[in-house]
Amino acid sequence: MDVRIPEIPASYDAYRDELRAFIAKHVPTLEMKPRSGLRVPDTAEDVEAQRNFVRALHDAGYRQDRFQAHDGDPFEQRILQQALSTVPEAAMGNPLVAGALKLFGTDDQKAKYLPPISRGDHIWSQLFSEPNAGSDLSNLKTRADLDGDVYVVNGQKVWTTWAQWSDYGYLLARTEPTPGPAGITAFVLDMKLPGVDVRPLREITGTTDFNEVFLTDVRVPVTDVIGQPGNGWKVTNMSLAMERSGIGGGGGGAVVGELIDAARLHNRRGRSAIEADDVRQGLARLAARSRIHRAIGHKIATRAAKGKLSVSDAPIGKIWFGELNLAMCEFALRLQGPRSALTEGDPAAYLDGVWQDRFLYARAWTIAGGSNEIMRNMIAERGLGLPKEPRGS
Amino acid sequence: MDFDFNDDQDLLRATTRAYLEKRSSIASRRPLLESPEVFDRRVWEEGAELGWTALLVATEYEGGSVSDQPLVDLVVLAEEFGRTLQPGPLIPTNVVADAIARFGSVEQRRAHLPGIVAGKTVAAWCMTADGSPDLGGISLRATTGPDGGFTLTGTAGYVHGATVADLFLVTAASEAGPAQFLVPATSAGVSVRRLVTLDLTRRFGEVHFDAVAVPAANELATGDSAVDVHNRALAVATVLQGAEAVGAAEHLFAVTLQYSKDRIQFGRPIGSFQAIKHRMADLAISVEAMRAATHYAALALADGLDDADEAIATAGSYVTEAHAFLCGECLQLTGGIGFTWEHDVHLFLRRARTDEVLYGDPPWHREELCRLITSTRTKEQP
Repeated sequence: MDVRIPEIPASYDAYRDELRAFIAKHVPTLEMKPRSGLRVPDTAEDVEAQRNFVRALHDAGYRQDRFQAHDGDPFEQRILQQALSTVPEAAMGNPLVAGALKLFGTDDQKAKYLPPISRGDHIWSQLFSEPNAGSDLSNLKTRADLDGDVYVVNGQKVWTTWAQWSDYGYLLARTEPTPGPAGITAFVLDMKLPGVDVRPLREITGTTDFNEVFLTDVRVPVTDVIGQPGNGWKVTNMSLAMERSGIGGGGGGAVVGELIDAARLHNRRGRSAIEADDVRQGLARLAARSRIHRAIGHKIATRAAKGKLSVSDAPIGKIWFGELNLAMCEFALRLQGPRSALTEGDPAAYLDGVWQDRFLYARAWTIAGGSNEIMRNMIAERGLGLPKEPRGS
Repeated sequence: MDFDFNDDQDLLRATTRAYLEKRSSIASRRPLLESPEVFDRRVWEEGAELGWTALLVATEYEGGSVSDQPLVDLVVLAEEFGRTLQPGPLIPTNVVADAIARFGSVEQRRAHLPGIVAGKTVAAWCMTADGSPDLGGISLRATTGPDGGFTLTGTAGYVHGATVADLFLVTAASEAGPAQFLVPATSAGVSVRRLVTLDLTRRFGEVHFDAVAVPAANELATGDSAVDVHNRALAVATVLQGAEAVGAAEHLFAVTLQYSKDRIQFGRPIGSFQAIKHRMADLAISVEAMRAATHYAALALADGLDDADEAIATAGSYVTEAHAFLCGECLQLTGGIGFTWEHDVHLFLRRARTDEVLYGDPPWHREELCRLITSTRTKEQP
């Protein structure tokens, strides 16, 4: 039994040093305030600055495997992933489509779409959820009707991260009038096409990270179908599984340290909160959950390596992380006492309201990518074999 | 990365499970639940041949393991013990064997280890009087006699296996600080009061030492090294306690899951109702978490990883508490049938609730974890 991964040889130190220096030199300073989560710039200048940064990385040869036709050197990839995980400026759009294209795309589609994602030339978003098809995604109503060599798309999408700055969308629409998953097809949608109307949505955080997308008689070429018509549900499930496991992969280690800082700084009954028993117990509970999250990740990685992944694995990771993250945010606010009422913009707010923003944004992790209630259904029905819920008509 | 058991360990599990089902199933021990003793020495000696008491002992003392991570091998056994609620003192005996193997003199190893490995010597660990792992709470006193030997006086509480043990590992407060002694149960002045416990599947004793004379040769450790012995024993016990909980939780969860599929109410299996289904999903998550926490703690201790202390404290903070909660949920989900004496769920619940307090309760381990993480977090922020 072990959890080691092959150590990166010292011969890669130069690669790491050069990469770090490159990032330090090219990373843009954005107008957008740094926040946790998948957050989206407010200005075209910020978007352009991010594009230039991603382009510079790509052109210098720093390319992530997930957007390439062929995998690069595994040690370089690990160093690159580690470095980029701390640089949110290098993340643009929702590039989940890359996995769908690699698994189901034609050679032409891969050649046309993957390199520009890698180079930051194309920003993508994911057009799945609809006002009446959130948890019940296979109930989606957006239609794509075949008309010669195009599909005519009509419908409405929502919760579309980055849509306001996107060049392309990874679209799910119904090509057959049958209910449920059978009639769903996955498409590449050119967001510049006539009939695509993006309306930014303001969320509880006060920021604008999501959008509504209205689709009216948008004519999509048949060559932009991903996989086979009617096969979109399968394409989607693989993408969503990747997203969920990605969410589950987010660590909590750094955040526990920040909680300790907050506990030391804030007082209770004239003493530092870190000296109070309930605070110490609460901190340890969160630290334990954080460490267990990592250990569950090792279990899942081991099963993945042996080809023994269970349908429950990604949902378990997502639920554990989403609930832990929310609990940490709530704990951080409680530590601040009355000061927790202050938020971004008030000069007395703790760390300019970073925890207040995280607290509000935390619900994105428990709702997006399949709400935790849907995750529990997946574990129970597909993982444990319990009977499905009766469905209404 | 291979965070799972290997083929040899899987074989050890299969062999152990088959043996326990045949010779020591829960059903076969049902008539003994309220009898004074549930321990079967023949089963223990047969189990010794299967390696129950050998894994943490070197081959020169008749021991041996199936992998180069003996503690992980032992986790396999402990999971199987938990699964079938075994009465035998697997944890205390192995804790004592480990302490002698790691800290004992050659004479002490020769004197005790072969007997433990053969299943002839059953060992128990007298941790403290009040059951808390805090060494400050020791009321047992060791005074030094003129011949260099010691005299032990006092009590150790909540000792699993005390009623059948041949050998005690005893922690006492001596003039040189805490100290550990190896005390044969037959020593003059040793007596055991059998405790009446919530758990019906094991027996616990309160061990009294009334001016027990212990030769100097039986002193295992003193001062700082006695603290090391104590901490090591507590870490091993925490891992194995977690493993017993994992095995028990996996089994009880599987039984409850089947019940939720079979039990029909309102014309549907109760497991089809979301109120039940989501609780089953949460329990499945907690079983995975218990497993991950325990196996990581075992691995960290076996390999001496840098974060071994945090890993042990994490397992101690979470596993037994999650297990006790799971048992309560399984009882609830089994409904009226689960409230009957005949159904096994209360045996799991009683034992799980006891496990929570045996080797440091979860709040104790959380304080430990908090101490560890705050001592390494030195950065102060404005």
